[in-house]
Amino acid sequence: MKTKSHKQEQFQPSKMSLSELTPYLFIFPVLLLLVMLVVYPLSYGVYISFFDTDLGKNWSFAGFRNYLVIFTQDNFLKNIWVTFKFAFLVVAGHFVIGILLGLALNQKKRGTTVFRTILVLPWLFPDVVIALIFKWLANPMYGLFNSFLLEHGLIEKQISWLGSTQWAFAVVVLVCIWKGYPMVLVNVLAALQSVSSDILEAARVDGANAVQLLFRIILPAIKPVLATTVILDVVWWFKHYTIVELLTSGGPNSVTSIVSIGIYKEAFQYFKFGRAAAMAVVVFVICYLISKVFRKVLSDDE
Amino acid sequence: MNKKRSGMINNVLTYGACLIGSIFVLVPVLWMVSTSLKTEPETFAIPPRWIPETVTLDSYRAMWVDYPFLYYFRNSIIVTLAAVAISVSISCLTGYGVTRFRFKGKESFLGFVLLTQMFPSVMLLVPYYKVLNTYGLNNTLIGLGLVYISFTVPFCSWMMVGYFKTVPLELDEAAIIDGCSRWQAFTRITLPIVIPGVSSSAIYAFVTCWNEYMFANLLMADEKLKTVSVGIAELNGYYKIMWNDLMASSVVASIPLVIGFIFLQKYFIGGLTAGAVKS
Repeated sequence: MKTKSHKQEQFQPSKMSLSELTPYLFIFPVLLLLVMLVVYPLSYGVYISFFDTDLGKNWSFAGFRNYLVIFTQDNFLKNIWVTFKFAFLVVAGHFVIGILLGLALNQKKRGTTVFRTILVLPWLFPDVVIALIFKWLANPMYGLFNSFLLEHGLIEKQISWLGSTQWAFAVVVLVCIWKGYPMVLVNVLAALQSVSSDILEAARVDGANAVQLLFRIILPAIKPVLATTVILDVVWWFKHYTIVELLTSGGPNSVTSIVSIGIYKEAFQYFKFGRAAAMAVVVFVICYLISKVFRKVLSDDE
Repeated sequence: MNKKRSGMINNVLTYGACLIGSIFVLVPVLWMVSTSLKTEPETFAIPPRWIPETVTLDSYRAMWVDYPFLYYFRNSIIVTLAAVAISVSISCLTGYGVTRFRFKGKESFLGFVLLTQMFPSVMLLVPYYKVLNTYGLNNTLIGLGLVYISFTVPFCSWMMVGYFKTVPLELDEAAIIDGCSRWQAFTRITLPIVIPGVSSSAIYAFVTCWNEYMFANLLMADEKLKTVSVGIAELNGYYKIMWNDLMASSVVASIPLVIGFIFLQKYFIGGLTAGAVKS
C-alpha cells in the first residue's frame, strides 16, 4: 500500500493535466447509486421511526415514543435475545466446521477437489430451497428424519421437530449452520495459502505436535482473514430472515422469533411502520457495535 | 515407523472429515432429487423410499404447465442479469478510479462504501416499500432490480478495488505513453487482467440476487411478476403441500447456480480470496 501510493505520486503529475475530474467520473456511478439507493432510504427509515404512520396520509410526530415502546415491550427485547443466541450458535458452528474442513481440504490429497466442490454446495442453494428441503426432511409424518430414527430405535414415536418448543430452535440453528459454513470454509482455504510450509516444517522439526501447530502457528497466521470473516458472518446472520421465516415463522411460542421476523410482522402484519422502523434502527446500531467490538478485540496485535 | 503411523492417522482424519461432511451435504440434496422424481402416492409413502418404484418426470412437466414457473424464471433471469451487469460494471469503474488516481476524498469514499456494506437489509424494508410506492415502482421489475443493485454494489466495489490493486500501475503508464487514452488504458489493458475478479464479483452478485426472497415477496404482488424464490415458497403455503412438485422446482431453481459454479470455481475460489485477503 505504502509503496503503491508512492508510485502514484511519481506517476500522477503528468496525468493530472489531462483532467482533474477523471477520478471522480470513475467513481461517480457507484457514489450516485449508493446515495440514491442506500443513504436516502436509510435516512428515510430513520425519519419514519419518529412518526406514528400508516405510510399513507396519516403522519403524526411521535418523537422518541416508538423507541420507548419497543424497549418497554418485552417482545422486542425477547426477539433481540433470541437473535443473539441464534447468531452466536450459527457463527460458532460455521467456524468450527469451516476451520476443520478447511484444514482437511488444504492437504491437497487425492480427491480433495471433488470433496471441495461437494462441500461448497450448500452455499449455492437458494435459502428458500434449503428451508423447504429441511422442512420436508423434518416432516413428522412422511419425513426422512423421523423414519430413520424410528427404524433404528432412537426415538419412540414421531417428533414434530419444527412444532415443538423443545426442538424448533435447535433445528433452525442446525439448518442455518448447514447453509452458511461454506463461506467460512472458502475464506479459511484462501487464508491457509499464505501459511508457509517452511514454518510448519520448522515447527515440526522442533517437536511441535498437531494441536500446538494449529493453535500456535496456523490459527494466528490466518487470524486477520478470520477476523474479517467473523464480522461479516455475525452481521449477516444477525439480520437473517428467509430460512427461519419459512421453517417456523418465528414459532412455536416465539422460541425462534428472530428480530428480522419481528420487524417484518410489526410492519406488514400489524402495520406499525414507525415502530418497525425504530426496531430496524436499533438493529443497525447493534450490528455496528458488534463489528466495532470485534474489530477492536481481533485486531489488537496486528 | 512413528512418522508412518502419524501419516496414516492424518489420512484417516482428513478423509473422515471430508466424508462425514459430504454425507451431511448430500443426503438433503439427494433427497430433494429423489422426491422430485416421485409420483404423488409415493411421495407420501410410509416409510419413505430412497429410490422410487416408478420414476416419473411429471413434476418437472407440471411446474411449467400447472404452475406459472415460466413467468417466475423469466422475471428472476431479467432482474438478476440486469442487477449483476449494472453492479459489476460500475464496480469495475470504481475499482479502477480508486486504485489509479490520487484524489481528494478517496479515503472517505472507501470508508463510505464499507459502511454501506454493513447495514442490515431489513432496515430498508419499510423505507423501500414507501419510496418505491411513491415513485410507482412497487410491483415492477425495475423497482426490484434497484433494490438488488443496492445489495450487491457495496461488496462488488470492495472486491474490485482489491483486484485492481493487484495490477501494477506501470501497465497503465506504459499504455498511456504509447498513446492510449485513459479510457483505452482501462478497457484494453487493465480490465482484461482483472477478468477473474470480474467473474467472482459476478458470481457473488448473481447468487445474492437469484436467492433473495424477503424483498421479492414483499414488493411483487402481481402473480406474473414474482420471482422463482417467491414462487417456490408459495407452493409451501397451499393447504396440501405437493412436495414432489415443490422439490422439482427447487432442483430447477438450483441448477443454474450449481452448474455455473462448477465451471467458474477455479476463478471463484482464487478470486474471492484475493478480495478477502486484501481487505
